[in-house]
Amino acid sequence: MTPVDEADLTVADLQVVVSDGTGADGASDDGRAPAASGSARRARGPLARAGAVALTGLSGDLVHAEAAIAAGLPQIRIVGLPDAAVRESADRVRLGCQRSGFSLPETKVVVNLAPAGIRKSGPGFDLPVALAVLAAAGHLAPADLDGVVAMGEVGLDGHLRGAAGTLPAATTARRVGAGRMVVPIDVAGEAALVEGLDVVPVGSLRDAVAVLAGTIACPARPRPPEPVQRDVDDLVDVRGQALARRGIEIAAAGGHHVLMMGPPGCGKSMLARRLPGILPGLTPAEALEVAAVRSIVGVVATDLDLRPPFRAPHHATSTAGLIGGGSGVARPGELSRAHRGVLFLDEVLETPRSTLDALREPLERGEVVLVRSQSRVTYPARVQLVVAANPCPCGHAGSSSRPCRCRPDQVARYRGRLSGPLLDRIDLHLELEPVSEDVLVGPSDGESSAAVAARVRQARDVAASRWAAADVPGDRRLNRDVDPARLRQTVSATAQRRLARAVQALGWSARTFDRCLRVARTIADLAASDVAGADHVDEAIAYRLDTGPRST
Amino acid sequence: MSDDWTAVAAAGTDPLRLARVVARAVADRRGLEAGWRTARRAGRSGSEAIGDVLSAPVLVDDGAGAVARSWAAAGVRVALAGDPSMPTRLERHDVVPPWLAMTGDLGMDRRAVAIVGSRSATPYGTGMAAWLAEAAGDAGVRVVSGGAVGIDAAGHQASLARPGGTTVVLGCGHGVAYPRPHATRGGLFDRVGASGGAVISESLPTDPARPHRVRSRNRLIAALADAVVVVEGGERSGSLITASWAADLGIPVLGVPGDVRATGSAAPHHLLRDGAAVCAGPADLLAAVGQGLDPSATTDDDRDRGVSGLPRWLRVPLVEAWPRPLPTATLVDGSGRRAGEVLAAVTRAQVGGLVTRDADGIRLCRRP
Repeated sequence: MTPVDEADLTVADLQVVVSDGTGADGASDDGRAPAASGSARRARGPLARAGAVALTGLSGDLVHAEAAIAAGLPQIRIVGLPDAAVRESADRVRLGCQRSGFSLPETKVVVNLAPAGIRKSGPGFDLPVALAVLAAAGHLAPADLDGVVAMGEVGLDGHLRGAAGTLPAATTARRVGAGRMVVPIDVAGEAALVEGLDVVPVGSLRDAVAVLAGTIACPARPRPPEPVQRDVDDLVDVRGQALARRGIEIAAAGGHHVLMMGPPGCGKSMLARRLPGILPGLTPAEALEVAAVRSIVGVVATDLDLRPPFRAPHHATSTAGLIGGGSGVARPGELSRAHRGVLFLDEVLETPRSTLDALREPLERGEVVLVRSQSRVTYPARVQLVVAANPCPCGHAGSSSRPCRCRPDQVARYRGRLSGPLLDRIDLHLELEPVSEDVLVGPSDGESSAAVAARVRQARDVAASRWAAADVPGDRRLNRDVDPARLRQTVSATAQRRLARAVQALGWSARTFDRCLRVARTIADLAASDVAGADHVDEAIAYRLDTGPRST
Repeated sequence: MSDDWTAVAAAGTDPLRLARVVARAVADRRGLEAGWRTARRAGRSGSEAIGDVLSAPVLVDDGAGAVARSWAAAGVRVALAGDPSMPTRLERHDVVPPWLAMTGDLGMDRRAVAIVGSRSATPYGTGMAAWLAEAAGDAGVRVVSGGAVGIDAAGHQASLARPGGTTVVLGCGHGVAYPRPHATRGGLFDRVGASGGAVISESLPTDPARPHRVRSRNRLIAALADAVVVVEGGERSGSLITASWAADLGIPVLGVPGDVRATGSAAPHHLLRDGAAVCAGPADLLAAVGQGLDPSATTDDDRDRGVSGLPRWLRVPLVEAWPRPLPTATLVDGSGRRAGEVLAAVTRAQVGGLVTRDADGIRLCRRP
């Protein structure tokens, strides 16, 4: 990157640039200089065109900002289905250009965002609009804008700021075959994540014009953010809880959704927060997907995090906040922010039932489709769901140290809130006990995240190669997602009969059968066993909680 | 209309008299109850008191037919005071209601114990109630209770399908679904009916559960039993009302000692302080009703049957905890084995019917 030193670029330099541009254009356009003082007859200046990207969710379309000088009062008028932010762009661009030392014609400039049928939103259109206007005004040759896509917000002093969604916009630019993408310096690294795209980082409108016109050297392609592993808490800090550790390990290995039930303070969220540390790291492609969603909500990728994301929205989060929403073009919610990672819902029984039910379909499909009056956007939503709840309203049911003050019918009603379709998608139920005093003060007794992660990695590799051999599509190769018929082929007939008997003896529904099989398959993967056997099934059965009333 | 009354009248009850008593109750409940109390205080017998009630004219009898139809639809039979179907104990203890609606067999030929306690029960309480009820049921002793959640439910549940059988005394009408978890299809009341137990009520079918009605039915629980045991209850527990009725009627009262720190131990400890007998196991309870433990239920074979299928490391802690449940996590941490291995063993025991597992943990199904 070579940010242009402003001291070097005087107004006089700019005049040179301007006159050069005018000369070139003037020859091809009746010999008139559009940048000269305005008159109605000069309305027929050159038609300038700069590329831009209109994002709808994560997907984008190439649009062109076409600018032309027209007769009328001095103003910039933007047409082509702009939203409020894009319409405001007119004032930013006007002042930004003038304060950068570019004179604009004392007449009307019309900017059309074509095709006009696509809705444009956000401040990212400032830069393409400004470049088109400047070219129309003769400060830049229209040919300099050939194959250029620009995105960025223009400040009133001509400085450029990155706009949300630069990464998906860059992806779109490469897809449509744009040669160069001009972006503000602060988001240049993010755009550079897209390979095969010539990213031009610029600090101000003057820089942008100078670079495009070739008067200063094009800055070097910015370095994309380094892949890093975010620091997460280690499993070694968790005392006791052998049962829950085992459960978390199985969940990580099979990608299973988890329900944790236990009294307050027993370590539910502590365990959940350590799950990303034992999950396999993301591939660069997966990390890009995560970064793209972050980019949409305006988080600039300063590094490329290979750890699965962890999102823990508060239990009062609205449905729109969780799955995404908003008018016009829906924005991604916490669910999509947790894509390829862990979505942790603490105190899940305090979350309204309707909000939880909204998660069902996205969990099943791995993506969430949000339809609004003006758009239909799809955000990715392949998450591992971890929900935590107290066992009863007072929180102490099953505790040996503190008596539970709830009546059994209250407990039943409380737990009943969780039953239903969402619970059906949660394969693994874990009961947690409060940790006793001597375990708390005693020496650390558990394994580190790294040791567990190694086993998880191995189990996942085993599963992935097995499902790959069985022609399961690439994104459904977790035991959680594989369809039941395929799953049954890898569990011994004896074990299946045993499971059927147990399901009947314990009075469970037939749907439980397949969920137990999934967990048994993962347990067998952890044990590096080709065929899941009776022991694996027996253990899997124990990860089902009776959520009904006490059976007394 | 008279067809309905014929269907509803219990053996030995005159359908027309029943129809008129209920019509009176529907038209003027307070008048009937006041008249009933006056007659009983004057020393009139059940059938004489019914005669007194009927001597007052019934001006309006709207709704009595609906009552009959509602009872008939639920398969309920109704006996009037003084009729042969009315349990004689109620008459003897002078607590007989004007009528008694019932389903199933009351099993009045057997001895009976009332196992009562609070709705908010601890695992210890439900475990004790279940233990006592199992032993009583096996010894051919009837278990009577109020059909509420908690201790009552544990007692009823454990005595199902045992020789003694069980009787539920409702605090509301037969047509009212209360408590809801028990009144649903396949709930406790259905299972009591299916196992031949009785569900009785002194209310009209649509009478909702009200505090006075629930308290008043406690006198029936006491009077139907030969001994009352209070398992768990707070300071103001309804089980104390049952106990004081029993004391008034000369029926032995027992209390199960509990954890002195737990609020649920207040009621039994209060009774023990006032001279109730200690119930430290089924033997105490059965001795109070003059019946020994059923020898067949305590043979060595049976003891073996309870735990023989369990590995030693699993058996020992469960036997130690019994009758309390052992939290699963405690079992895993205490066994020193891998969590997966412990869970697999628990599942096998559960499927084999040796242990039950619920929100409180794992418990042996039978006394070790």
